[in-house]
Amino acid sequence: MSNICGKYAFVGLGLTKQGKLPEYTVDELATQAILLALEDSGIQKQEIDGYIYQPGIGGGPTRSAPIRNAGIPARFCWELQTGSASGISTVIAAIGTMEAGLCQACILVHATSAASLGTVASKDGGSKITLAARAPVGGQRSTWGAYGYFGPVAVAAWIAQRYMHLYGLTREQMGAVAMTLREYANKRSDAIMYDKKLTLDDYMNTRMVVAPMCLYDCCLVNDGAVAMIITSAERAKYLKRDPVYVMGFGLDHSISQIGQSPQAIWHWDGFMTRHAGKKAFEMAGISLQDVDVAEMYDAFSIFLLSQLESYGICGKGESGAFVAEGNLKLNGRWPSNTSGTGLSWAYLQGFAHITEGIRQLRGEAGECQVKDAEIAMVTGLGGAAEPAAGSSIACCILGRK
Amino acid sequence: MATSKEYSKPLPLIDNSTKPFWEGAKRHELMLYKCLHCGTYYYPAIHCIACENPKMEWVKVTGKGEVYTFCIYHSAFHPAFKEDIPYNVTWIKLLEGPLLLTNVVECKNEEIYIGMPVEVVFDDVTDEIALPKFKPTE
Repeated sequence: MSNICGKYAFVGLGLTKQGKLPEYTVDELATQAILLALEDSGIQKQEIDGYIYQPGIGGGPTRSAPIRNAGIPARFCWELQTGSASGISTVIAAIGTMEAGLCQACILVHATSAASLGTVASKDGGSKITLAARAPVGGQRSTWGAYGYFGPVAVAAWIAQRYMHLYGLTREQMGAVAMTLREYANKRSDAIMYDKKLTLDDYMNTRMVVAPMCLYDCCLVNDGAVAMIITSAERAKYLKRDPVYVMGFGLDHSISQIGQSPQAIWHWDGFMTRHAGKKAFEMAGISLQDVDVAEMYDAFSIFLLSQLESYGICGKGESGAFVAEGNLKLNGRWPSNTSGTGLSWAYLQGFAHITEGIRQLRGEAGECQVKDAEIAMVTGLGGAAEPAAGSSIACCILGRK
Repeated sequence: MATSKEYSKPLPLIDNSTKPFWEGAKRHELMLYKCLHCGTYYYPAIHCIACENPKMEWVKVTGKGEVYTFCIYHSAFHPAFKEDIPYNVTWIKLLEGPLLLTNVVECKNEEIYIGMPVEVVFDDVTDEIALPKFKPTE
């Protein structure tokens, strides 16, 4: 592929309500999102001939059921799982198939019933505890349960503990991440935390989940779905929405498991994002200074802090102070995670970040709008629970022109 | 020593690549997978990625190391650990190089710190399984 920059664009975005929605199955949520995306774009459903989805936490849609329900005649139905790098990975896969002439327009879907596990809505028939405690199977993980390791929070906690030791990162600085994102969410009426304020006192006094990660360091657990339609820039010209162009993207992957060796420092001391970022920016023909707004993956506060350093937005060991100084706010040096994303808007793995990137470039972010935003940087990070933290990295640049 | 019936926590699922580790643990020996060609140690067992001519063998190691990082569980993600809260899950950097996930025992959670010297002790949780855990070095 060459000259991909600006050749494909998002033309439709469909979002269901986010929150606790036990009245809907995960397939119904996915179908709703697809219908909303079709309506948003004005494209005819017969034009959509590619479908790629990532199953959300607790088990996502049942293969082609949602497009069948929506009447979309896709020629392929792909499940793609790279953890929370999946959002960007589906974009790359879609562009690959369109570039190869296999299809004209793709719909990309993420859906989850994570908040309603154990109810009729969920495919995970067990109790709610199964989500976090889902037995690690195979390889190293089969051993870890014997010592009480369950769920991805511990991975974030291990990284944060070491960051605190190496660089003096404080809980107040981690709290600044949670509060900054919450302030954004408090201005977004469709955010789960829209009407719930968060103070430093709240942060410092809430319960620990897996220390040093407290409740507000961890992403939301919710039900909801999102669908995005992507097609050629040529086709996008004749549709009703202003296109949001894909300018560049890049990937990274670590083959080392988290415990394999301390030399695998990206697991502990910053994520291995260098190739992903470099490739994405090269393809887009821009540099970090050109980015107007960023949406960086935030399953846990420490993941956002770590990426700020790994992508070179601030220096090594400086991310805590960088955020505490207010740099992620609208008037800061790096306006970021402007909907409140995973910590305070809704957790749709890496799809929440693409969603907000698109809304910013469409000028739909309301009080959280970055003025005249033309370029957005979106990141994804998968594999915290694999458990090679940062085993999948994805970076994508979106543009308004 | 508890029997399998009484012990309610998950037990390690043992496969070919981990069997010598757990057989060693049962004998109260900590085993790692070593490349005899270049001297690099591994766990879990993988083919040596540090040299061109790997020659792999399980060997007994010192059982000494230091705390690399740790976390403290305050929520029971699994019912069998409810009574243990708060408990630590800790990575030990072994003297020979690899990191090992375990629990630090014979020590309060508040006293654990990164860099703390530790040594292995074996917890015979069933007739068949002994879990390597680590205590502060005296």
